[in-house]
Amino acid sequence: MSQLFIILATSLAVLLIAYLTAISARDLIRLLISLELMFGAVFLAILPLFSLQASTAFAIVVLTIFTSSSELLVLITAIVLLDRSKRGIELEKVAVGGETL
Amino acid sequence: MDTGTLIIAAASVFTILSAIGVLLTRDNLYAALYMSVTMLLIAAIYAAYNIQQVVVFIAFVFVGAVGMITIAIAATYRYIPAKKISVGWIIPVIIVFAITSYFYYGFATFNLKTQELSLGFEKLSTEYMVLLVFLFSLIVIMMLSAIKLARRVEL
Repeated sequence: MSQLFIILATSLAVLLIAYLTAISARDLIRLLISLELMFGAVFLAILPLFSLQASTAFAIVVLTIFTSSSELLVLITAIVLLDRSKRGIELEKVAVGGETL
Repeated sequence: MDTGTLIIAAASVFTILSAIGVLLTRDNLYAALYMSVTMLLIAAIYAAYNIQQVVVFIAFVFVGAVGMITIAIAATYRYIPAKKISVGWIIPVIIVFAITSYFYYGFATFNLKTQELSLGFEKLSTEYMVLLVFLFSLIVIMMLSAIKLARRVEL
């Protein structure tokens, strides 16, 4: 069993568990946590690139960490705003433009 | 299987177990805590390869900042939802994992040897500084936009 297999299989498992968490979520907090798990799977998937182009891989990791962090911070703000306007963070309350769920 | 592979395999097993904890727990606070443990274990896998720069970024930026905010907001909205995981979704997930892992096992047959990692912090002060300043500016602008949106909702 090679290290590359362990890393890729772990990345895939974390990604699939994050998908399961996302589709079973009933509120936006759980959805946010599943998104962070997906980014964790991305970090693991980038790891083999360090054996080929370490500097490029490091640049990709830095970009991924900062863009995902800013995306998650804005999502947290959106959750707080949704709670203010809809008085709840359940997924059933997320409806845009008259869409009904 | 050598010692390095054993350490990485153990960290990978605990990573998957803590990710399963996120899926199975009913409390948002514990889900956020399990998520932080998962991210720290992913950072530990990077540490096993001596990629300390990424360990610092994941531990301090992703877990230390975003993860702590997520834990705080999960403690605020500690909503306990009803379980909704259906077996109909778990079966295709297991099938996809089995098929992909079979091909990974056949083709991913070599160990990883990382390169030139000791130069990371030296390059950080020169090549990556413009990139980091740009990304910090991006985060500040996005948070300012969020504050403006929040004030508009209050009005």
